[in-house]
Amino acid sequence: MPNQEKSKEKDSKLTTRRDFLRGAGNYTVASLSGAAMLLSNPKPAKANVTWAEHFQKNYRLMTEEEKQEAIERLETRYSEEYGQKVTVDGTPSIDGVLFGYALNIQKCIGCRRCVKACVAENNQSRGDEQQIEWIRVLRMEKGNFSAEDRDQHGYPESFGVQVGGNAYKPAGVVLEGQHYYEPDQVPEKDAFYFPMQCMQCEKPPCVKVCPVRTTYRDPDGIVVVDYNWCIGCRMCIGACPYWARRFNWGEPNLPKEELNPHTHYLGNRPRMKGVVEKCTYCVQRTRKGRWTACVEVCPVGARKFGNLLDPNSEIRKVLAKKKVFRLRADLNTYPKFFYFMD
Amino acid sequence: MMTSYRNYLSIMGLCLLAILSIKPALGAELPQNSECFESRDGMSQVNVHDTATGVVNVKCSPDTGGVLWWGDPFEGTIPMGDMEVEADYWHEEAVVKPREPQIDRNKMLTICGMACHNGVYVPIPYNKDPRPLKMHLDIIPDAMNLKHGKGSVWCLDCHHLVDRTKLIDNFGYSVSFNQPQKLCGKCHGQVYRSWRDGIHGKRIGMWDKGGKKRWWVCTECHNPHDVEQGDRNSGYAQLAPEPAPNLPKGMTNADHERMHHGPSKSESLH
Repeated sequence: MPNQEKSKEKDSKLTTRRDFLRGAGNYTVASLSGAAMLLSNPKPAKANVTWAEHFQKNYRLMTEEEKQEAIERLETRYSEEYGQKVTVDGTPSIDGVLFGYALNIQKCIGCRRCVKACVAENNQSRGDEQQIEWIRVLRMEKGNFSAEDRDQHGYPESFGVQVGGNAYKPAGVVLEGQHYYEPDQVPEKDAFYFPMQCMQCEKPPCVKVCPVRTTYRDPDGIVVVDYNWCIGCRMCIGACPYWARRFNWGEPNLPKEELNPHTHYLGNRPRMKGVVEKCTYCVQRTRKGRWTACVEVCPVGARKFGNLLDPNSEIRKVLAKKKVFRLRADLNTYPKFFYFMD
Repeated sequence: MMTSYRNYLSIMGLCLLAILSIKPALGAELPQNSECFESRDGMSQVNVHDTATGVVNVKCSPDTGGVLWWGDPFEGTIPMGDMEVEADYWHEEAVVKPREPQIDRNKMLTICGMACHNGVYVPIPYNKDPRPLKMHLDIIPDAMNLKHGKGSVWCLDCHHLVDRTKLIDNFGYSVSFNQPQKLCGKCHGQVYRSWRDGIHGKRIGMWDKGGKKRWWVCTECHNPHDVEQGDRNSGYAQLAPEPAPNLPKGMTNADHERMHHGPSKSESLH
């Protein structure tokens, strides 16, 4: 059945309205029979678990027992699906901790190791069909401004303007900066690099717009998503000024052998189709004292992370001693992600 | 006991590598890299293996051969030893990965220290003017191309005159290869202070106060013999980047984002 649908999607040009209706009919029948099976025969472990998952409460409103139940349900299902012991952690935020992140843009070499480390740690979907990466690295060209060029020729074409984008073609990048750079060696002499990820805002616009309040900010400053309560409306994606959120358009592709079995309920547990996800400062690691995967992997040590409430933490030293800025501070989102220079 | 076991393992690993390298036809289906580098390609290699807890110590990038993920951040580390650290972080457990085994991988350091530079028979140069020394190109390929200090620094400003397994600081005290910051910090004080604060350089392990941290020392990222890196004038050598994200569906190239400053280049794009 899913294969049929896929092939239909592929030659969508040939799809007529009648085909579409027939497909939709099939789909309804399938879902109805599925529900019937669930109702009549609740024995298979997976069906049972999925049924219960569908009808659980918003994670924030659950009692401790309900949270524990939800976690155990997931552990059972994931362990079965992935053929190994998968742990789902529910560690709440630590008192007296407010996480902060600082990135030295002078040091960043644009090697994208943080991007791939994040994928390995946080169980994102990978492959050609659906690739999700929480960190994006922009390559910025060093400008060589010459007054004569501007006088004679004006600004270069497509400078900071949205490119493309109509019914047949996806829109290009709206800001200055290159996502898809592929030189043999980095850093290049005439470029610098600007990584972006979730800024864990103090006043997060994504939280404001979420109609079901499934995304919220925990006391330690991490903005988290309860994937089970997410309805996939993608309002948060539109609201986020930092392009930090990603959507699972299809069933995520996560090979069994590449799964990271140490997961957190609000973090890197395997996601399902139709939910939004984003950087969580590796909540499964940081709430247990460990540095995030991107901090650890950065080969130049450009990434710094720590407790903003501890006056002796390295993040506080960065804020005290270096030149620091926050991205789009004019929006009053109060990010907990700082950029700095030596 | 342990070392002999490790030797045995490494021999096994070598055999495996040899077998693998015989079959280049299977290159497309090569298994995960068995060795990858941390920060400096060629000078900070790690072997992939399972740890006691059942996870691999590191995961390597299949594209660039760099370390992508740390299962055990403290593998093979030793206590950092005495170091002044500001504020109340003095009680933290700070560890480093010793540099000596890395430098001594092909046993040159050991052999040299026993044979010629054993402290008895030592060729001591009489002329102490900075100049390239045409020797030891086998262990230091860039010895003739020293790019550090714009010609005012040479080998024996950093290396011990008699004991070649040691470095030397500006007072003449010997410094272990494992703690190059004690030497480098003598000139690069600002960076050293920044490193001490945890702002410069890399650390992995636990972020929390009092948690165990592995500190990266200077030579784990910087090549002390070439800190200029040509006209880039940067302390960090170039490396291959990880692959770019997939293009959005329907997009065939990324020409739209390749804009160049100045009109001449942008014209050629369209």
